[in-house]
Amino acid sequence: MSAASPVPLVALLAHADWQQVSVLAAPPAPTLTVGGVAMVADIRGRAADLEGNLLTVLQPPLRDDWHIDVLIQTAAASRASALLIGDSSPLSQPSSALAARVGLTVLGADDPLAAALAARRLVAEVELHVSDTVLRVTSAATRSGEGVEDVMKAVGSVLHRPLALVAAGGDTLLGADVVAEEDRETVAGTLTAGAARYRVTQRVELSGSALLIAHPVPPTTARDATVWLVTRLPHDLPAESAAASAALSVAAAVIGQRASLRRLAVERDARARASLLGELLNAPDDVAPTTRRRALEAGWRLDGWHLGIRIDTGPEVDPVAQRPEVIGALQEEGLDAVVVEQGDGWSAWITSEDEPRGADVEARAGQIRSAQRRLAATTPTAVGVGRYHAGPRGVARTLGEAGEAARLAAGRVASGRFLHVDRLGLGQTLLAWTRTDTFQPAARSLLAPLEGQPGDLLHTLTTYLDEESSVSETAAILGIHRNTVAQRLARIRSLLAVDLADPSERLALHLACRTIWIPPSDVG
Amino acid sequence: MSPPASRTLRAADLEALAVGLCLLGSGGAGDPQPFASVLRSQLGSGELVLHAPGGLGGASVVPVGMVGATSVFTEKLPHGGEFGAAVAATGRWTGAAPDAVMGIETAGLNGVTALVAALRLELPYVDADLAGRGLPRLDQLTWVTAQLPLTPCALAFPGGHTLLVDSASATEVERTIRAALAGTGGWAALALPPSPAALLDETACVGTLGRALELGRAHGSLRVLADAAEVAEVLGGEVLGEGRVHDVLRHSAGGGLQPESSVTVLDRNGPVLRIETENEFLMVLVDGEPRATVPDLICLLDRRTNRPLAVDALRRGDEVFVVVLPAPAWWLAPGRLDRVSPAAFAIDSPPLLLGGRP
Repeated sequence: MSAASPVPLVALLAHADWQQVSVLAAPPAPTLTVGGVAMVADIRGRAADLEGNLLTVLQPPLRDDWHIDVLIQTAAASRASALLIGDSSPLSQPSSALAARVGLTVLGADDPLAAALAARRLVAEVELHVSDTVLRVTSAATRSGEGVEDVMKAVGSVLHRPLALVAAGGDTLLGADVVAEEDRETVAGTLTAGAARYRVTQRVELSGSALLIAHPVPPTTARDATVWLVTRLPHDLPAESAAASAALSVAAAVIGQRASLRRLAVERDARARASLLGELLNAPDDVAPTTRRRALEAGWRLDGWHLGIRIDTGPEVDPVAQRPEVIGALQEEGLDAVVVEQGDGWSAWITSEDEPRGADVEARAGQIRSAQRRLAATTPTAVGVGRYHAGPRGVARTLGEAGEAARLAAGRVASGRFLHVDRLGLGQTLLAWTRTDTFQPAARSLLAPLEGQPGDLLHTLTTYLDEESSVSETAAILGIHRNTVAQRLARIRSLLAVDLADPSERLALHLACRTIWIPPSDVG
Repeated sequence: MSPPASRTLRAADLEALAVGLCLLGSGGAGDPQPFASVLRSQLGSGELVLHAPGGLGGASVVPVGMVGATSVFTEKLPHGGEFGAAVAATGRWTGAAPDAVMGIETAGLNGVTALVAALRLELPYVDADLAGRGLPRLDQLTWVTAQLPLTPCALAFPGGHTLLVDSASATEVERTIRAALAGTGGWAALALPPSPAALLDETACVGTLGRALELGRAHGSLRVLADAAEVAEVLGGEVLGEGRVHDVLRHSAGGGLQPESSVTVLDRNGPVLRIETENEFLMVLVDGEPRATVPDLICLLDRRTNRPLAVDALRRGDEVFVVVLPAPAWWLAPGRLDRVSPAAFAIDSPPLLLGGRP
């Protein structure tokens, strides 16, 4: 047993092991401390040396009994810090009047023995409490379910405190909201990516008497962001904060291990998918029966009509980790696609039983485009869509088209980096013709009035013409209001003195735009 | 020890007597006022001699009193013949008519009943009784401590029937009479076996009615709005506190027959007083520390009028003095305290008496 240092009674009252304890009279001041626990069998019992200690009466007294008053007087006279009696029914009027008069906090608990032993452990047997908590946390964490959430739930049920995974900077990624707005700056200052590298537990004193205990979760890959496993304690009760620190380091390790295991399984699946797709794409004329069987097992339908989608993204994106988001975005739009990680992005396709009609194709392309916009919030992408092709070989064919379209789309900010191969033929032909030395000076002079004007008029005009003169589509791509688009178009009309309703003038302008306008992202 | 001189009682003394009897009742023993009116009309302009037992030689003295619920008494009025019937029954059983009358318990209501009985039976009244203060049970009487039998005794009910109990222990007498009262409802007149007057100096509290008169007269001399020191000095006791009744907690924790309650008085100077009661006030705790117990007389007085307050009349908000007066002297002689000590009321505290006695 270690030497006891007094702890605040309010901290004991806030501890999970003291949930059953309630204040019956004279609520404790924050400065009131408990240095030890004395126990007597019943209300008539007397204990020596009460000073600074919590006097506990194990046998619940009848509330009308005047002996309670005598005990309150004795406890107050011997400077006990508080009195704990059995059962939590309220004190009688005379007893509570006396407790208020002598200033002795009276507590009630349905199981006073358990409460007294818990108090003794929290005050005087800190190491015992820490080791017991760590054992229980270890056992609960290792036996918990597979997910990170399961581990956090199991650990939280032992600690009886809110747990959360918090990113460097204070954003809660998973679990309870433990970082209040006013504490955010303090937390962000301590839980930095740099601090996480030392792999030591951090304490953050919060406003009020609360305390945050945080331990970094070991990263699975070098690309992983810093994550802290955090718990919030209402008071700095030394036994509890020590136990929480030790418990969190154990739990953080288990969470790291679970994350690695999950990552491993995901990687294995991704590899299997990629190799299967590779076999499909590289198959000669006919797909081998073993490949067909593996595709069947993976839930891929090789018969029917396939529409290929290629989603390209930057090297900073982890396609394995982000795959669920891509599937989610497509599903939100009603597209049930097979998605395979491939290179810096994903190859995906949707399959339908019958040969699709023209309207269906347009509808699908629209849905894919919406899905791309959903993804744009977190991941910038360039998307290419192929044409419908039938049968096992059709997958390779449509994905091939989609891949080329995506490469072209990457350079076309005006169309929101989206390209459907059905539209590709004409566009490519025209572009090839306009990129000649004779046409370029003419185009430049045609559009010269727009240069230097506020409002990015050239970009607006290009987008507007690319989008079949649709004001709303232009607004969506540029991320501005449609009224702004309309107002810019009016200015363009007056600056250029052209009629955009005239087919030949429109065609000339469109060609000029295509020739000289260089998308901002392609500069340099 | 010389016998106290005989005194007399006149109608003019009755007001002081009633107050004194209330003080001796220690919050219980019933209100003497209704019977005091009966006594006033019986006395008229005459006077009643309060004989000292020593002056009556070998006369046999019968203790009489009322048992049962004092509160029912004012609803179920006596027809006047009850005491005669009870005394006559013991006379028939023992074969000798008594020569004088004394009280069973000279406190509260019963302090007056014996006087009424003496006038009605036209027998001399002896100023002696078997309690000296308000006591709730028959097995607490001085005769029980002195190991004298309480039988044969007779109960006469207002309905006219009579019950005689013989050859029973004090506990059996108490139990039988409580059962009979529960069966008939209300109250009855009780006569105990007559005793030779010469024995009473040793076996009874002598001069209790005289003490009641003195207390009543002293009380009458108190000024309105007297302070605590004056109250203590005039009544010859101690004031443990003065303040407002904060709460009256009625409970029956012990499962006993008596209604129990705890009265909280917040002293105007800070301390919290707790008064444990049954029929009477039994114990006073000041700030959780027991300070006074039975058999001393614990009385609560209205702080403005000084009027003694009964246990069942106390209400939240009453302004009171908490006063302790000395116990009847008879109980304080060695070996006599057991039946009136706190333990006799299921309170596990030693007796705490004025001046540190005994």
